[in-house]
Amino acid sequence: MTAAAMDINAAALRRDERREKLALFSLCAPASLLVLVIIVAPVGWLFWLSLFNDAGVMSLDNYTRMFESKSYTRIFITTFQVSFLTTALCVLLGYPLAYFLAQLPRRWAALGMLAVLLPFWTSLLVRTYAWLVVLQRKGLVNQWGMELGLWEAPLRLAHNLNGTLIGMAHIMLPFLVLPLYGAMKAIDFDYMKAAANLGANPVSAFRHVFLPLSLPGLFAGIIIVFVLCLGFFVTPAVLGGGKVIMVSMKIETLVDLFFNFGTASALGVVLLGLTLLVLFAAHKLLQLDRVLGGGHGGNP
Amino acid sequence: MQRIDALPIHIRAVTKTYGAVYALDGVDLEVRSGEFLTLLGPSGSGKTTLLMVLAGFTRPDAGSLKFGDAEVIRMPPHRREVGMVFQNYALFPHLDVAANIGFPLKLRGIDKNDIHARVESALATVQLQGFGDRRIHQLSGGQKQRVALARAIIFEPRILLMDEPLSALDKKLREHMQIELRRLHEQLGMTTVYVTHDQREALTMSDRIAVINHGRLIQLDDPRAIYDHPADPFVANFIGESVLLPVEIIDGKPCYRGRPLQVAAGHARDDKTTPGALLMLRPERLVFMDDARADAAAYNRFDGVVGHAVYQGENFVTYITLDDGHEVAVRSVSRKQSLAAAPPPGSTVTLGLHRDETALIPGHTAAAGNNNNDAETNRGHKP
Amino acid sequence: MRNNATVIHSTVAAAAFALTFAAGASAQSVTVASWGGSYQAAQSKALFMPVAAAMGITINEETYKGIGQVRTRVAANAVPWDIISTGSGGGARACVEEILIPLDYNLIDVSNFVADTHLPCCVGSDVFATVMAWNTDTYGDNGPQSWADFWDVQKFPGTRSIRGKMHGMLEPALMADGVAPRDVYRVLDSEAGIKRALDKIRELKPHVAVWWSSGAQHAQLMKDGEVDMTTGWNGRFDVAKADGAKVAYTYNQGLQDYDCFGIPKGAPNAGLAMQVIAEMSKAEFQVNLPKYITYGPTNAEVYQTGQVDESVARQLPSHPSNARKLLPVSQEWYAKWEKIGSEMYQDMITE
Ligand SMILES: Nc1ncnc2c1ncn2[C@@H]1O[C@H](COP(=O)(O)OP(=O)(O)OP(=O)(O)O)[C@@H](O)[C@H]1O
Ligand SMILES: [Mg+2]
Repeated sequence: MTAAAMDINAAALRRDERREKLALFSLCAPASLLVLVIIVAPVGWLFWLSLFNDAGVMSLDNYTRMFESKSYTRIFITTFQVSFLTTALCVLLGYPLAYFLAQLPRRWAALGMLAVLLPFWTSLLVRTYAWLVVLQRKGLVNQWGMELGLWEAPLRLAHNLNGTLIGMAHIMLPFLVLPLYGAMKAIDFDYMKAAANLGANPVSAFRHVFLPLSLPGLFAGIIIVFVLCLGFFVTPAVLGGGKVIMVSMKIETLVDLFFNFGTASALGVVLLGLTLLVLFAAHKLLQLDRVLGGGHGGNP
Repeated sequence: MQRIDALPIHIRAVTKTYGAVYALDGVDLEVRSGEFLTLLGPSGSGKTTLLMVLAGFTRPDAGSLKFGDAEVIRMPPHRREVGMVFQNYALFPHLDVAANIGFPLKLRGIDKNDIHARVESALATVQLQGFGDRRIHQLSGGQKQRVALARAIIFEPRILLMDEPLSALDKKLREHMQIELRRLHEQLGMTTVYVTHDQREALTMSDRIAVINHGRLIQLDDPRAIYDHPADPFVANFIGESVLLPVEIIDGKPCYRGRPLQVAAGHARDDKTTPGALLMLRPERLVFMDDARADAAAYNRFDGVVGHAVYQGENFVTYITLDDGHEVAVRSVSRKQSLAAAPPPGSTVTLGLHRDETALIPGHTAAAGNNNNDAETNRGHKP
Repeated sequence: MRNNATVIHSTVAAAAFALTFAAGASAQSVTVASWGGSYQAAQSKALFMPVAAAMGITINEETYKGIGQVRTRVAANAVPWDIISTGSGGGARACVEEILIPLDYNLIDVSNFVADTHLPCCVGSDVFATVMAWNTDTYGDNGPQSWADFWDVQKFPGTRSIRGKMHGMLEPALMADGVAPRDVYRVLDSEAGIKRALDKIRELKPHVAVWWSSGAQHAQLMKDGEVDMTTGWNGRFDVAKADGAKVAYTYNQGLQDYDCFGIPKGAPNAGLAMQVIAEMSKAEFQVNLPKYITYGPTNAEVYQTGQVDESVARQLPSHPSNARKLLPVSQEWYAKWEKIGSEMYQDMITE
């Protein structure tokens, strides 16, 4: 075939392709705009504010203070510690739960899912105070435990890290279970049959096949929970007894009591930076794009 | 790969119900050591169910299953040592090709280097050298099929099960893979149970075919016997095309419209003279009678009127309405002379069927294959 | 019922007025924001409703979360409130930040007010005290009588609750450490002094079960028996006690503080608001307050009217017999040290 013959319509076809890509891009324009307006702009504004000290002069005071004052470092450590432990607790509770639900017949699974989602129907504050009633010194758990002679002095379940973790795990659990359940439901049962057929007992079939296939859902859940925890406010404020101080609580005090947007913004910026850092590390460590892409990504 | 020591499979009185439905209804079947046996039947007839019972994924209500001398009916699937190729291949998406194929060896605690060597050899067996580090989603349908096959045979199972492994492939590739599977079976020699509802595939590939309908074994025979001497009207209709004509018994002889039929000796079934027997007419076996033929006397004759004709490339088919109203087809090879000699529509013709190709079949569906007579207990037809 | 009827009456009156003189209608109502709960209920019954009735206007009530919210509204130039009720500390800060406008003390008469209960932008509405309270199930009537007792976990074994913010916590710590009440703010007037107070709190820290963050919370803690001893605001404990809580408190070494009314910058009806505040500062209305909550009037004239039962009056923090035991909170000290002290306090908690 001659070169000329091969060029027939080539330019027009390339134009069509470009036009299609442009059309596709314009589809996501509203979303991009939204992101720009509700995320990029406020974060930029936050960053801008954080560069001014109390006297309104441009400086890095807000950041240097964070490194000089021990309490800021401790607050960050507490924030990450609480988030990490809550996430771990959610995984421990959520994985078997999601697995169980995924095995149930459809109708029962729907009922179980409803139970998991039930917490979403009541206000966060109500649930948190309900935990207080259950966990405090003369709360239900301690009353029953002591009546049954399980322990003698009341356990310290509320107004500390324990209470915070219990309350937060309860609130975060659905965020872990939902994506995980979805991922598990999507696992073709033939994979498990194939594994058994190839000689895998139920335990190794789970370990070598089901677990790895459920990981994308698990990681999605872990990331959602962890990131949500980092910015959590109500539950640690109510159940932490004033001992569990997270970044969000500190920001609230700074803004509400001292009208100190500079330091508050700096805290927000550092938290955002650390969160991105954690996500990046997780991404590097676990090759999340591959995992989250459900194995349909490009070459490894 | 090495030739494998095959095992026979003994299936006895296996029954599986789902509510009121009998997916398997007292199936008795002997699969010979090293043979390629195909389960053939319409959709919903119980083929997959039987295969799942063999693999251990479906627990039957009753029955016995032996691999060789060992009863395995209660053995969990992971201890059965049966290779299986799933209809959708069920290749693990999180593992690459080599890891998929090596999976059964890894489970068996085999040394890494050994696994590598055996995976390479298995890849060579299915002609996929160099594909080891591909990911599953990067394979074509035929390649996936071969990986699934390699994974099913690498641990040298003595029994191999395949559930419609070629149904997802296009015609060309399917025919190519049919030949490959046969070749592989001849090379490795394990007892193979193959499921399909493609009759041509069953006829080309199998040593023997087990026809199943409504959860029952209808006939078990080699492909020729299945085609030429179906055990009942269902098999006759399911495999190939056929028209069944009613046969009367006059003076102990089978007759069609009062005319005695010549039936070849040795081919007829025992019950050919029982009332209700049917005469099977297959399009390619019928000829336009030409009394000039030397062996004209060896043909049974049928008179009729020519209807329309259909040109099919290698064949052409002429439809004839017989005197009693049955419409039969005659398939002739498309060659210039035969096309020229074709009778025009509306003309009366006489069709001939050679006595050696004249088969009578029992006229009731309850009969089973000749290996299988003892299976027919007094069970009534299930709802 | 009668009070409800009053509200309906005044609303109806205002509505009728609005129908006839639509343009002038808004001038005849003011909106007050307060903290809600038993506190605002008392304010409503003692001050808002009677004053509205007396002036023939409508007083609308809303709840809000504090000065931070006012600040945002002022910045946005969209102030929905004419009067806000706040703590003296918040009032002092808001004044400096010019969120509240200066009050007209020619109109508002503070000549009979308890000492230290008004600011340029915020006039005292009631006096309360930060006191030590205890669980009567644990200690009976023999609770702590001084901050030294509060700190003494040998003599008074049990769990403690103290405030999660520095406010009202450094003074008790110094008194527990042996500083005389009148010297407290002098000693605190340096980082070393603040550190001395914090070190004293560090001593108590292992026994602090809860760092409270609101009045509702410390009342609830006593009601639930969650802690055996707490600091807190006297009125809240009285309400809890009336509600069945096993709680008692003493004014010994307590801190005298007050709440106040102010007018946000940009309030829609600032002029009328000024008149309403002037009315509410009068003894004839403040005399109602003790009927609903045990916060004392800022206008000392109330005690001379003879309209308050002697037994009730004796419970009030601004009654001369109690006021003697209290140390007035120094707004100057807070203006100077609040930020530094808060940071140091937070350091201490997070250790
Ligand atoms: N899990 C099940 N629950 C209820 N009925 C079932 C179940 N599995 C199979 N059946 C029924 O059992 C019968 C046999 O099914 P089976 O899957 O063995 O058919 P098949 O021969 O493999 O059909 P196909 O060619 O369509 O794959 C059908 O009537 C089917 O509806
Ligand atoms: Mg099937």
